[in-house]
Amino acid sequence: MYQLTGLTRLYHKDRRPVPAVTGVDLVIGDGEWLAVQGRTGSGKSTLLNLLGALDRPTEGTVELDGTDLGVLRETQLTRLRAQSIGFIFQTFNLIPTLSAAENVEAALIPLGVSQAGRRQRVTAALDAVGLPDRAKHLPTELSGGQQQRVAIARALVKDPTVVLADEPTGNLDEDTRDDIIALLEHLWRERGLTLVLVTHDSAIARRAQRTAVMSNGRLTIRQDSANR
Amino acid sequence: MFFVTYLQRELRRRVRQAVLVALGLALGVGLVVTVAAASAGVSKAEVGVLSGLYGVGTDITVTGPSALAAMARACTPTPTVPCFDGRPYRGKGTPVPKPSKSNGQILFPPLFNQVSASAVAAVARLHDVAAAAGVLTLVGQSHQSGTYTVDGVDTGHTSVGPLSTATISSGHFFTAADSDADVALVDSSYATSNNLKVGSAITIKQVRFTVIGIVSPQPGTSPPDVYIPLARAQAVGTGDKDGAGSLANDVNLIYVAAASAADIPAVQGELSRLLPGDTVTAASSLASEVTGSLSDAAKLTGDLGRWVSALALIAAFAVACLLTLAGVSRRSAEFGALKSLGWRTRRIVAQVLGESLVMGIAGGAAGVGVGFAGAAIIADIAPKVSGTDSSAIGSMQQVIQNGSPAPVVWRAVSVPLSPSVTAGVIVLAVVLAMAGGLLAGALGAWRIARLRPASALTLVA
Repeated sequence: MYQLTGLTRLYHKDRRPVPAVTGVDLVIGDGEWLAVQGRTGSGKSTLLNLLGALDRPTEGTVELDGTDLGVLRETQLTRLRAQSIGFIFQTFNLIPTLSAAENVEAALIPLGVSQAGRRQRVTAALDAVGLPDRAKHLPTELSGGQQQRVAIARALVKDPTVVLADEPTGNLDEDTRDDIIALLEHLWRERGLTLVLVTHDSAIARRAQRTAVMSNGRLTIRQDSANR
Repeated sequence: MFFVTYLQRELRRRVRQAVLVALGLALGVGLVVTVAAASAGVSKAEVGVLSGLYGVGTDITVTGPSALAAMARACTPTPTVPCFDGRPYRGKGTPVPKPSKSNGQILFPPLFNQVSASAVAAVARLHDVAAAAGVLTLVGQSHQSGTYTVDGVDTGHTSVGPLSTATISSGHFFTAADSDADVALVDSSYATSNNLKVGSAITIKQVRFTVIGIVSPQPGTSPPDVYIPLARAQAVGTGDKDGAGSLANDVNLIYVAAASAADIPAVQGELSRLLPGDTVTAASSLASEVTGSLSDAAKLTGDLGRWVSALALIAAFAVACLLTLAGVSRRSAEFGALKSLGWRTRRIVAQVLGESLVMGIAGGAAGVGVGFAGAAIIADIAPKVSGTDSSAIGSMQQVIQNGSPAPVVWRAVSVPLSPSVTAGVIVLAVVLAMAGGLLAGALGAWRIARLRPASALTLVA
């Protein structure tokens, strides 16, 4: 699925380069669940942005199914995100003026799905996350856990091959966190997704098949997590 | 439709901002509409003033060259003998010209060189001239009546000229058969003050004229006191106030109506070639020679009004742009999320442009309402604007009375200023407001296009 070779991303602050990701070599297989741990500022979110084609590497390559994302045009990257990559954010990033169903529907708009088709798929997605009766609620009318479920439904409604989750339980209480992770795990198994999940939480990381640790922009695989 | 749903929800969420933007555009556009309506009112008033001064249907006037400037240059004023447009007075201490003919009457044209009446026929024969009429305007002075004014009119062509705006209140107008008759029409005010009615007799230069009609002028105009047939005016008048000179075949003003408004420039050119020494003036340029509150109103709605409107529009556009940019900045994370979902930049831009356009349309509609309100306020106040003919055509510079110069208004017209909002102005208002909205949206779109999704998403994180 993913092959990262010498992946580096530098930012510039006061004309000085600040390395966010440095020389990352990594292979992520189809259907694999990889957890990425690390302290704040270690480069986890930057790595996720590079995997999701939200950002471009300064050096090295990111290949998704053999395609180097760094050479694609912006419109091609946008198309890729629309069709193949689902995102789940720590702060949910739902559109506040749209209902739960409409937020999920927003993910299907770029695909040109008909209105009837969108309605059907949205219903199925909300069913899958256990929110069939919250379709018309606005995000402000939902709890944190419910909002994150809507975000998961939005990420999955387009049947992506990859789901990238950036601290999906970071804003949730312990019980809700467990529910969300359980839901993600269930969907991962059911759909054979490739799931890359960034987390602080070691307990969550241990549920993944493999765990990588980011430190000062460099990535290492935890040996005790290999081949779980 | 998702686009419409998203648009409606966003406008509802940011209703205060949307109202502010629309209100700003409404005020700017409303001012433009009000100024345009006032300007249209001034133009209408100008037509009213001009038609009051020169008659309905008059497109061009022709006058002889003015003698005033030459006489002014020839005169050297003294403490006791001021210049009367360059001509010293005769007799010490008697600055008022005395009638020098028997019966104590003099009748002369205002200080102006005449135009030959045969020129009128030549003018009427010109291509694209619908009608032409010569008028001999005279000032009469007598011991009994004091000063009075007389217009000698072409009784066969009254569709242009001073009688074209008058209405008969008793008796009847001239007919073509009256061209050489000793008959007169009398202005209603003059008739009242001199106790004249149809059938009365008035004496002008020892000639007895029978009053055949009392005319009421167009409201606000200053018509002559008496109208007599042109040929009779030429016979009884003299070339100057000293009683010298003949006015046979003379007029001092030719009224010309063109076949159509489009023909006016061509007719003006033909007249200048036909009568090279005379002054040919189109009614439109006469407007610039009319003084009084009308010209002040024209200046106000013209330059000042345009500048104020332009400034108000710029301010409104600036407010719309700033608020839209601020709104886009606040929604950066939202747009970053949409980009992460695979929304293309142009789809997001279309959303923002749609929101701005709706605010622009709302602003335009409200602006039209504000404009109508402004025009209604002006109409309620209904200020009267007056125009004084300060051109060489009918202006008598000064009549010295008792040693003190007193300007005499030869002709003055007063008409109400009634602004009007035309369909064209309404369309312009809405287009301007939409342009303001689109400009704001375009700036927002530029901001969105520069947005990198990763940066936008970290703004929230």
